[in-house]
Order: sequence, then C-alpha cells, then structure tokens
Amino acid sequence: MMAATPHRRRPPYLAEILTAAALIAAPFVLPYFGSAPNTVNRILVWGLFGIGFDILFGYTGLLSFGQSALYGTGGFVAAYLLTRAGFPHVTTALLIGMVAAAVVGWLVGLVALRRTGIYFAMITVAIAEVFYFVEFNPLAQWTGGENGLPGVPTPVLNLGFKTFHFTSGWALYPFLAFWYFVGIVVALRIVRSPVGAVLRAIRENPLRATAVGHDIHAYKLAAFVIAAAYAGLAGGLLGVLQAFMPPDAFTFDTSGQLVIQTVIGGRGTLFGPLVGAGVWLFLQDFLQATLGLGAAWKLVLGLVFVLLVCFLRDGIVGAIRDFARWLDRDRRAAAEGTALPAATEPATPPPALRARHGNASVAGPILQATALTKHYGGVVANAGIDFTVERGEIRGIIGPNGAGKSTFFKMLTCEVSPTSGRIVFQGRDITGLGVTEVCQLGLTKSYQVNQLFNKLTVGENVTIAALAALRGRFRLDLLRSTATVPGLEEQVAHTLALVHLASRREVPVSQLAYGEKRRLEIGLALASSPDLLLLDEPLAGMSPSERAETVKLLKSVAAGRTLIVIDHDMDAIFELAQRISVLQEGRVLVEGTPDEIRANAKVQEAYLGGVGEAHA
Amino acid sequence: MINWSNFVSQLINGLALGALLALISSGLTIIYGTLGVLNLAHGAMFMLGGYAGFVAYQATGSFLVAVAAGSVALLVLGIVMERVIIRHFYGRPHEDQILVTFGLSIVMVEAVRFFFGSESRLVPAPQIMSGVTSLGVMIYPTYRLALVGIVAVALLALYFVLYRTRLGMIVRAGIEDPVMVDSLGINVYRVFMVVFGIGAMAAGFAGIVNAPVVSLTPEVGEAILVQTFVVVVIGGVGSFPGAVLGGLIAGEIISITSMINPGYAYVMLFAAMTLVLMLRPHGLLGTPGRE
Amino acid sequence: MSENDSNGARGGRRDFIRAGLGVAGGLVLPGFASRALAADQPPIGTWPAGASGNSVFIGIAVPRTGTYAVQGEDELKGWQLAVEHLNSGHPLMKQISPKTKKGVLGKEVKIGVADSAAKPNNAVQAEQGFITENKAILMTGSTSSAVAVALNKLAQREKVLYVTGISGSNDTTGKDCVRYGFRQCFYGQTAAAAIGPVIVKAYGKNKKAAYLTPDYTYGHTVTKSMQDYLASAGWTTVTNQVAPLGAPDYSSYLLNVANSGADVLINVNWGHDAVLSTQQAQRFGILDKMKLVIPYQIPFLAPEVGNNLTAGVYAATDFWWTLQDQYPLAKMFVQEFEKKFGYKPEWGANNAYMSFALWAEAVENAGTFYPPDVIKSFEAGRKIQSTVGEVYFRKEDHQLVRPVFIVQGKKQSEMKGKEDFWNVLETVPGAGLMQKPDAFGCNLGDYT
Repeated sequence: MMAATPHRRRPPYLAEILTAAALIAAPFVLPYFGSAPNTVNRILVWGLFGIGFDILFGYTGLLSFGQSALYGTGGFVAAYLLTRAGFPHVTTALLIGMVAAAVVGWLVGLVALRRTGIYFAMITVAIAEVFYFVEFNPLAQWTGGENGLPGVPTPVLNLGFKTFHFTSGWALYPFLAFWYFVGIVVALRIVRSPVGAVLRAIRENPLRATAVGHDIHAYKLAAFVIAAAYAGLAGGLLGVLQAFMPPDAFTFDTSGQLVIQTVIGGRGTLFGPLVGAGVWLFLQDFLQATLGLGAAWKLVLGLVFVLLVCFLRDGIVGAIRDFARWLDRDRRAAAEGTALPAATEPATPPPALRARHGNASVAGPILQATALTKHYGGVVANAGIDFTVERGEIRGIIGPNGAGKSTFFKMLTCEVSPTSGRIVFQGRDITGLGVTEVCQLGLTKSYQVNQLFNKLTVGENVTIAALAALRGRFRLDLLRSTATVPGLEEQVAHTLALVHLASRREVPVSQLAYGEKRRLEIGLALASSPDLLLLDEPLAGMSPSERAETVKLLKSVAAGRTLIVIDHDMDAIFELAQRISVLQEGRVLVEGTPDEIRANAKVQEAYLGGVGEAHA
Repeated sequence: MINWSNFVSQLINGLALGALLALISSGLTIIYGTLGVLNLAHGAMFMLGGYAGFVAYQATGSFLVAVAAGSVALLVLGIVMERVIIRHFYGRPHEDQILVTFGLSIVMVEAVRFFFGSESRLVPAPQIMSGVTSLGVMIYPTYRLALVGIVAVALLALYFVLYRTRLGMIVRAGIEDPVMVDSLGINVYRVFMVVFGIGAMAAGFAGIVNAPVVSLTPEVGEAILVQTFVVVVIGGVGSFPGAVLGGLIAGEIISITSMINPGYAYVMLFAAMTLVLMLRPHGLLGTPGRE
Repeated sequence: MSENDSNGARGGRRDFIRAGLGVAGGLVLPGFASRALAADQPPIGTWPAGASGNSVFIGIAVPRTGTYAVQGEDELKGWQLAVEHLNSGHPLMKQISPKTKKGVLGKEVKIGVADSAAKPNNAVQAEQGFITENKAILMTGSTSSAVAVALNKLAQREKVLYVTGISGSNDTTGKDCVRYGFRQCFYGQTAAAAIGPVIVKAYGKNKKAAYLTPDYTYGHTVTKSMQDYLASAGWTTVTNQVAPLGAPDYSSYLLNVANSGADVLINVNWGHDAVLSTQQAQRFGILDKMKLVIPYQIPFLAPEVGNNLTAGVYAATDFWWTLQDQYPLAKMFVQEFEKKFGYKPEWGANNAYMSFALWAEAVENAGTFYPPDVIKSFEAGRKIQSTVGEVYFRKEDHQLVRPVFIVQGKKQSEMKGKEDFWNVLETVPGAGLMQKPDAFGCNLGDYT
C-alpha cells in the first residue's frame, strides 16, 4: 500500500519526490540504454491511462475491459476540437476531453455498475465493442471513421518572454511527463484519502463495506469516473503524441493491452501500469527486431502474462514491494513486539459520536419488531415475530438450528427485507431501508462468519468502519489525507482499546489468531459507536477460555449501548443476558429472564426433549 | 415496405445464427454456473475447434472425422486446462480467474497464428450438404440449413447429458450449490473437470461445424465471445435453457436488424442486453440473486 | 522545438525544463554540432542527418497479419526487389530512372519493415520509430487508405517524404493530400471511370445494381464514384450493404442482396473480406442470378476464392502480369520478380516497385535529398517510362497520371497456366479518368 500512515517514520511525499526525480532524469539517462523518445512518450501515456485503471481495478477491485471507450472518447473530443473545430489551445482541449470522458464514464457506470463481478466484466466488454462500432460508423462525421482524426497539433506554451514548442520526441517529453506527474500526485492523494480507504475496503469485502455504513455504489461510481477521467486525458495526449487520433484507441484490444500491462506491472501500485507499459513496448521491440520473431512476439507476451497471473500475483512492482517488506520484516517485528500494557478503557467514548445519535433521548424501546415474517419461496424462515428490546438491555436469543435466528438478524439490519411486518428503531420505521442507512442510524451487527478486510491491517479495518461513522454514507473527500479526518484517530484508538487489539494495530488480518479475528469482527461493528449492537454467535469456534474472555469483553462493551446476542453457548448467554428470547421454527417460543428460561419445559423439549442442559 | 421474402429469409438466417450461439453459450454458461469461472478463452476454444477440424480434414478428407477431431481435441484441452491451471484459481478472486482465461485466450490465438499464419483456411462442407436449397420464397445455402439441424442435435445431446444422466444431475446440483455437493461426498473437482471439458467441447464442436460457413482465421473467436456474453446475460447465468433462449433471441435480433441496416445489428444486441439488465437483472431464465 | 533553445541554459537558471530541452535539442539534432559544414539550408525533418552517411534508410510499415496480410507480403516483395535493383544499378531500374548508377545518389538503400496489421496506429508508431532512430528519409506502406492518410499527415508534420503503397480512397490525394505525400496507384475515381463504360457496354443501360461496401472511407468513396458514373447510364442502386471491415459472416447482407432484385452485384470489399463475401455470395446462389463486378481488384483474389468464381467477372486493376506482352519494362519486371520470388507478381508488388523507382528518379533529378527539392522534382511533371508505359506526376495533387487496366476473369478451361486468371481487355489512359485537381478538396501544404 502506498499510504503513509501516521505510525511509520517514512518521509512524507517520498513517492512524489522520487517520481519527479526519475521523470527529470529520464531524458538524460535513458538514451544510454537505447530508448527512443517516442517509446518513452508512449510509455508515459499508457502509464497515465493505467493510473486511473489501477484505481478502478487494483484498488477497488473492479475489472473493466471497457476503458478503451473512455480513452477514445476523451481523445476524440480533444482531437475534434483541435482539428475540425479549430480550437486554438491544446491544453484546454485536452482538459475538455478529459471532462467529456468523465461525464461519459459516469453515464456508462450507471449502467455497468448495476451488476458486480463477472457480469460487470462482461458488460464492460460489450460496452467497449459498442463504442468502437458507434465511433466507426454513425459518428464517422465527427471521428473521421476509419481514418481517425489526423493533424492534431502539439502544444505551445507562451510565457511572454519565451515560447516553448513541444513538438515531438524529447521535445514533447516534458509536456507528457508533466501530466504524468500531475496524474500521479493526484492519484497518490486519492489513494491516501478516506475515499481511497473505502475503495480498498470495497475490493476486500464489499459486503462488509456496505454493512459498516458506506454507500459502496456511489464510491464505485466515483472510482469509475476517476478512471474515465484519466483515460480521457491519456487519450487526448495520444492524439497529440501521434499528431493523429486513431480509431483503434477504441478497440477491445486497447482495453486488453491496458489490463495486461497493469497486471504485469503490478495492480494496486499506481506505478504498475507504467512499468507494465515499459515491459510491453520493450518486449514488442526486442522480440520483433532483435530476435526476429515477427508476429510471434504476442505469443511470448501472452505466455509471460499467464505465468505472471499464476505466480506473481502482484506483478513486478508488487514483487519489489513485497521483497522490500520482507527485508524490512525484522524491524517491523521489533516494532510490534513492543507490547503495550493492557489498555485501560477510556471512561467515555469520544464526545463527537455520542452527539450524532440524537435519538438517544427518544423514550420507549430502542427496537420494536411487529409481525416480522420472511418467506423464501415455500420455506417460512420467520413467522410473525413480535420482538421488543428496551434501551440498555442485553438481550439473548437462543434456539435450535434452523430456528430462523440469523434470518431474523438479517431483517433487523435490513440486509434482507421482510416479507411482511414492521421494524421500528429508536422511534423510526426502518422497514425496507438498506443496511448502509441502518448502520448510519446506529444499528450494526457483528457477523457469525468473520467478515473482515483480509488484506488490510487491524487498524485499517477499524478505520474503514470509523470513517463511515464520521463522514456519513458518501463523501467525495478525494484530496484530504485520512490522517486529517477529525476525530478519526480517537475513534480508532478507542475502539481498538475496547476490544483489546491496540497492540496489534499494524498486523495484517491474515496473521491474527482466530480469537483476535473474532474480536476485530466485533470491533468493526463497534467502530461506528452503534446504539444497538447485534452479535451473531460471537463465541462461535472459541475455546472455553476464549469464551470467558469474550463474555467479559461483551459486558464491558455493553456500557452505554443495547446488545442483542445470538449464541448456542447457554452458559455464556445465561451469564450475559438480562432477558432471553427463544426462537423455534421461525417463531418466538418464549421470552424471560435466564432463570425462567432455564426452568421452562417447553425450551428443554425444543432442544433435546427432556431434562438437562443443551450444549451447542 | 417490408419485403416478405427477405423477412422470411432473415428469420431463417437468424435461426441458424441463433442455434450456433445457443450451443456456444451453453458451454459458457454451464462452466460459469458450475465453476464460477468466466471463461474468456471460450471464443478462442471455438476457433481452436475449427482449426483442429481443419487439420483432421487435411489429413483424412472426411468432414465427419474433422467434426469428431474438433470436438475431441477441445474436450481434452478443456480437461487439461482445468486440471493444470484453472483448478489453482478457485480460491482466488474472480478477477484473477478472468485474467488467466484472458491470458490463455491470447496464447491460443497467437499460437494458432504462429503455426497457421493469418490467411484464412477453408473447410468445405460435405458434398451432400453443399449447394443451395430452394425454399419457395428464397434459396438458401443447404449447409446452413443443415447446420441448424446439426446444432439442434448437439443441443439435444447436451440436454440429455444434463437432465437425464447422473452426471448431469450432479452438474446441475453443483450449479446450484457446490458446497452442498461437496459435503455429499461427491468429488466436486472431478465434476468441475468434466464440466469444463464439456463446455469446451461444445465450443469446439460449434467451431468446426461453423467452419464451412465462415472461413477460419485466428480472429474468428473474438466476435463470437462478445456475442456469447450478451446471450448469457440475456438468458441468465448458469441456465442451460436460458442460453438456448438467449441464443435464439440474439440470432433473430441480429438478422431482423440486418434487414433494415446490418451495421446496427450489434448495437441492437447490446441495447437488448441493457434492457434485460435494467428490467430483469438475473436474465430471462436465470435465478434471482445469483451473481 | 524552438530553435532559440540552442543558446539557452546558463548556469544559475533554475529552469531545468529549459535545460532539459536544450540538451534534448542537442540530442535530437546531431547535425547541430556540425552546422557550419552542412549545405546552406537549415535542417528539415531527417535531412541532412539521414543523408549524411553512405546509406539512406526507408521505413516500411506493411500489414503482415490481419485482413490484408496476403496483399501486404506481395507488396513487401516489390519493395525488396526495388531496393535490390537500386543498390546494384539494375538495367530495369535504369530504364525508369536513367540517372541512377548505383544506389540513390551513390548511397546504399537500407530498409526497415514493421507489421502494421493495416492499423493506422501501428503504422504511425512504427514510422515514428524509423524516423527518430534510423533517420529515415522516406516512408512507405499502406494497403488500407486509413494508414495512407495517417502517414500522409505524419509525413507533413515530420517533414519526411511518404509514398503510398496501395491506397484506393479518393481522399489520399483528395481532401487528405499533403505536400510530402505522393501516390502512384489507381484509386476510386479512376477505377470507376475506367470500368464504368465497360460494364455499361457489356450489360446495358438502366440496370439495377447492388453494392457490398466495406465500412470505411475507401469503401464509401469507391462506391460513390461507381454510383455517380453509372447514374449517367441510367443505372440505379437497389441496395447498398455496408459491412464492417473483417466481418466473418455476410449472410445477413447477402440475403438483402439476394432479395433486392438486382442485375449486377458490385463488390467493393477488399482483401480477405472480398474472398469471403464472394464465396458466401456463391453459396447463397447470388452469383447465379447476378453478374459480379469488382471495381478495385484485389491481389490473389482469384486463387483464394477458388471454384473459378472469377470467370467472366470484370475488374479494374493497376497491373497484371500478362501486360508483359504490351510493355517491355513490364516483361523485364515480371521476369526478374519471378526469378527471385517464384511466382508472377500481383499489382501490389508492381506498385511497390514503381513507387521506389519513381522516387529514385525524382531524387536523382533533384541531385539532393533535401525534401523540398525532391518534392519539386516530383512536381516537375517529367514523363517517365515505367512498367505501364509513360507516366507523370500531377503537381496539383501529387497523383501519378497512369493507365488503368480492365481485366476479365478467365474460365478454368481457358487458363493456359496456373497463374493465368485474368484477360486484359482494355488499357485506359489515366489522364481522361481523373477528376479536376481541386475537385476533391486537395490543399497541399507547405514545403517547409
């Protein structure tokens, strides 16, 4: 990850400085390696195109084969303005092209993002093909059809006392390098911003990202538009580079080449596409000219690509980065080894969040479900459940397998909409809302099966949840650094302290022990400071000692909140809960205090049919 | 304004196109439905089936042998591909699976270009099926008519395997719930292997029987791939009947639009796909909630 | 790049961009250091750098893969033969370019070849490389007019001469013409004007024509030229089926044609598209109902399409090897080509050979490689003896004035050899076929 977190002592803006240095040095150094200026210029254009794509794919996880549509759109709008429309100023035309591509990207995203994963990829393929066709035929008047738009002028910079003509070769290089640098700087800011963090969360676990309160559709659309803007600018620059805007900017092959370059160079690194473009163009030259392979060079490239996807998942830059981390591992181990003393829990949560849930003063039960029913086809999961919880209660829900407990929870968090019935939370009817909205209102859940952001660290996980709480479902704060979000650090530190994970903040989730993961799971739900916290089998899979600790944890967490806990561990529930509801076959069997439930014959019968305790 | 004989000819043409698309898309949809892998190499497999058949035809002069060769070669290739490569990707994110099949498609196309060059290769239709048939309102190449029949038989065979054999039942169960199938003690990996092989074989068979209609070039699979995606989206992912229905619909859209302006056929197909996505996102015959 | 920069960067100026430009400028124009020694003109394009050694470089971007690959390979051989003849001072070359001794102005000719796949983008990329790295003083290559137009523009921007390969669109010396580009092959307008009268005579007036047009400007311009000419003989267009380049299946289009009631099918498709569409047309029984006409002939069409489908078909072409009986230089060319490559050359190869020969002739007459002088030498309009008789360049649009040949496909039984596909019916002189120089909006640019 490119972000510099507050804990690392890396100099700020290191990446930007190194990039600037490399870009400045390139025209002096590269000719010694036999690099032609045109090749370098092309690499820069592909690299810029790829930055946007990397944000979309590497960071958000959306694999789009349709970027050529935006590349071509931006390129042709700019080229048209500069050639047929006689627009005088090159840079302005490029920026107009970029905006046009962003707008088109927004429209396309509205359609394409209705589906995810595979469907999304397929739709983007189709979009690429259609754009090519439309550009070629019906719009041939504007795009020159098969001929493309020749005669694109090169930029001129008039500073009054001096005029720069950026013509071709090394003379054009500074212009392209400048835009690449701007592109990288902006991208680095985006990636380090809260939006960047959310995008990564979407890539890792879109389900959880939604559940912690982010409007992931809006973020995805934002990523798509960003990628479109980069593509559009790069397309315009291509026209300038070649003095000619080619129709094959629009082909599926162009999209495919971009994907291959990004994967070879390294996705999720921002610089990967640049490296990948270098590899592609180098191989193209080398294999054709030096080895005389002719058309077979693409076969070699395809093989290289497949091998990389199989074995070097994060591409060349990713491999370098991982190697650097591996070298760094001793220092990092030492840093983590410093065990912080068992955190004493801050007495009160940060004031900002408490005020957010204004409804805390509403009288009455915090949650009331009436006649809640859910049918799945012919199967009745929940039938007419009436359920009320008072503020500050710890309520337990038990029941044999198949009783419909998880379904009930899903309806409460609005992950699933009820077939009929009503849910009122803090005096507000939330039936039919979405899980994101409900989380923003103060109702969250921790999952039975861990839903964590696996490739991120503990701290990053909690940060993502906290960001939703502090910024609402969607905010386009692309250019601010995560570190500067007010209240974030306090919220994260507080949450980590609550679940005793403060000392493991920098550890990636994949390295946590199971019990720690479960605690993090709870932490994610806690990070938005919910008024009502649902816990779906928080003790699942734990050893007895872990259970005892978790029960203690839950008790401490319950302060100032309402909890509803599902579990199979009777002892734990009886100890923890003040009231218990028993579900069976989709209905509420009985409700009461732990003692009442323990003694209730119907409950005993429901579980094992007879005297004795039931253990899950 | 409508020229009726043209209309009928295009309808029949659409049937021929649609049948072929249905067959290829069935292969893609059962692979995706069972394994969850979007096989971007499907178009390349279609192309390879044609070339494998071409080689067999050159050697033996028999169209029948060519068809058999094209199908068997792809069955084997599909099984090998699954076993050697795809299998290692089940635990990896969807995007990685897409990428590896995309890479494999490039390798296949370029390998064919390397061995066979870019010029087109011809596999002639068998003698009894060549020439033209008079259908009253029009004359139509006999082989294209025969093709509808051939593909229909292949689809029936596929239907039979999927719905009337034990293997097919397992495959359909696997499409619904692979985890459950695994828990039932059935070797899910072997099922995956077979499914991938069958899907590949469907594409390869389609490739060789279609070769007399359009001559073979390395690029012949590219356009087919996109059309196949559209069909699968329209019909519903993982649904065999959906692929058939989607294929026929797509074929007719292409031909009827061609009557007015052939250039727009593609756009109409895409428009149809967008419409389906908006109104019925899981496809005409797909299962709701399925990704 | 601004020439002023050579006096630029002093120590103390913190503008590293300018310093970079200054140094880069020095790298790009190696002639800069030896400025004092060069001729009295300032450097332009790759001159004098590309002409200062004992060899000169020509950049060739030709399709070796894709729809036009077969035609591209044929063209390439024509260029290769031409280079061989130039470097050895072959008698055939000397007939076309009398001042040639060995090489061009005594310098050896070297070539670099890149695969354009008929895509303008690839061609431009390759040629840009040839210019910056090899200091190419001449560019060539095209079978697709899109490539020709793109390279036209590149030539004008980079100030490096470009001669087309095959380019059939009217635009190449029409609205997209440039001072630095020259075309010697025939094109839509001349093809239509040549073949029009022939088919009117053969088939009569007031006939109905169906067109198969590839969807790009070559296709559209040729179709339009045909329609315009034939309209004067009362012919009507019953349908114009426009198909994308590289379409695999023409069934939808052909069904429309079959049901159109046309008498004649005019197939403007080229390359592999022509082969496929013709084969499929036969399968749909169209060729039994209608006559096929090919206004812009395709190299190797007859053998590729098979089944003697070209029997009786009229086509307009640039060259056919039986012209060796008509022109002594054609005879020499066909002999030399067949000796080297083992088959009789198609018109792409002849076209390519001619283009280099004409360029050498222009350079020898100019006495220098300085581009504006070479251009003026082309534009002088000298009558040159070529493999198709006397030709000359028209200075207003840089189009070569040259004959067009009408051929008719031979029946299998009439063929006297395995390459004897076409009968040359008519030789139509070029001057009468061409449009007025400004009719297509040609506006040549500047010399420098």
